[in-house]
Amino acid sequence: MSNGNQQAPGTGSRSPRSGGGPVPATYSSSGQPTAPAPASPSRYQRIALVDLLDRLLAGGVVISGEVRLAIADVDLVSVSLRALIASVSTPGARGPAEEEDSR
Amino acid sequence: MTGDVDIGESPARERGSQAFLGQRIDADPESVERGLACLVLTIVELLRQLMERQALRRVDQGDLTEEQIEKIGLTLMALEDRMGELTEHFGLRPEDLNLDLGPLGSLLPYD
Amino acid sequence: MADDSGIWMYAVADRMAPEWFRDVAGIAGEPVRAISAGGLSAAVTTVRLAEFGEQALRRNLEDLGWLEKVARIHHDVIEAAAQHGPVLPMRLATVFRSDANAAAELARRQEDFAAALRRVTGRTEWGVKVSARPPATVEGFPEADRSGTGGTGPGAAFLRRRRTQLTARDNARQTVAADAEKIHLALDELAVASYARPPQDPKLTGHAEWMVLNGAYLVGEEGSAGFAAAVHRLGADYPELRIELTGPWPPYSFAVVEELDAGPTGTGERQETAR
Repeated sequence: MSNGNQQAPGTGSRSPRSGGGPVPATYSSSGQPTAPAPASPSRYQRIALVDLLDRLLAGGVVISGEVRLAIADVDLVSVSLRALIASVSTPGARGPAEEEDSR
Repeated sequence: MTGDVDIGESPARERGSQAFLGQRIDADPESVERGLACLVLTIVELLRQLMERQALRRVDQGDLTEEQIEKIGLTLMALEDRMGELTEHFGLRPEDLNLDLGPLGSLLPYD
Repeated sequence: MADDSGIWMYAVADRMAPEWFRDVAGIAGEPVRAISAGGLSAAVTTVRLAEFGEQALRRNLEDLGWLEKVARIHHDVIEAAAQHGPVLPMRLATVFRSDANAAAELARRQEDFAAALRRVTGRTEWGVKVSARPPATVEGFPEADRSGTGGTGPGAAFLRRRRTQLTARDNARQTVAADAEKIHLALDELAVASYARPPQDPKLTGHAEWMVLNGAYLVGEEGSAGFAAAVHRLGADYPELRIELTGPWPPYSFAVVEELDAGPTGTGERQETAR
């Protein structure tokens, strides 16, 4: 099996725009790591929280039923996401750094 | 382009005017007032936008006099100015006026 | 198992080896270990219910600082496992009452888990987000007034301006929506499965732009370079739009273990393309 290189060709940037984007660890589903996955904070800082929570809160396998501690899945998503929205949207306060659109 | 969300120092605790956060009611009167103003002004803004579109449709129907059209325009202009004043008075930005309706998206278009 | 602890589950795979997680701290700094049953393995950590039980979770999930810390640990452990083969990530805060319960769940649904693992084997998730300038910035071009607001007063002038603005914004919205649809379809062609996630709120993304597409695409390994290249090309084809590629991700959006309607929640639509 070929060494599946998941890195975008050329630069390490994952975004078509210059400035790059989050670069999580490169890996291959065939089990051949294409680059070591450092567990350093610098790697983890580059994944945007919004993208991460988007997936962790509304994606992934859902276990329901008695074996799990009873947390209604809908509650989990709505409570967490709304809390996130609420915490960064206090009226009048600046939340996330609001970038100028640099197109 | 996507960087980390700048978390700042204000966790959800400091804001509490939405029902789904349950027990976390923020008792600070100033922010309660602002939260209420935000809600009210959001509704007013929705109405204002609807009225503008309705007025334009009415003008399109072609049965208004020039005088009537002029008056409608002046009224809407004044309404827009007034909304701006009120919003500013409560320390709100135009983009603060919105309501998240969950699966239905936002009340106002992302304007 | 003590009554005051639970089992936090990160992911399920054919096999999980504790040494994979030597350099990755687990939840609350506790070690990551493996539970096996039904020919499957899950990466787990024992957690205190005082912090991770139902009531505590409801409280803590509202704390963005806590949520971020926990989310990144969860993701880092999943990434570490994904270095060694296909994994099924669990939703954040999947906590079992005991090892036995966790193992029983693996055994009970082993076929479903195995099928889900096969679906993501040799495949990677990529995210593509498409955003547009907010319609409010679209002004439009004043055109000859067709509708009788030809009056000379400021009121009539206001109506003319407003009409031009609103028309331009409506058109901009329609165009952008149509473009986003085209982009999604083009990328779906290159993927074995796609999922249109709900767009991210501008307040979360931190920029004012209006997100029109938040797509997740499951792409075969051999197709990843081509997929990234296609996204680059689309960025050039649609200069009015901001197109961002994120990834590679463990298959969060495609970790569907069929049971009734288990699957990613949200208002997005799933598309599976048989290939």
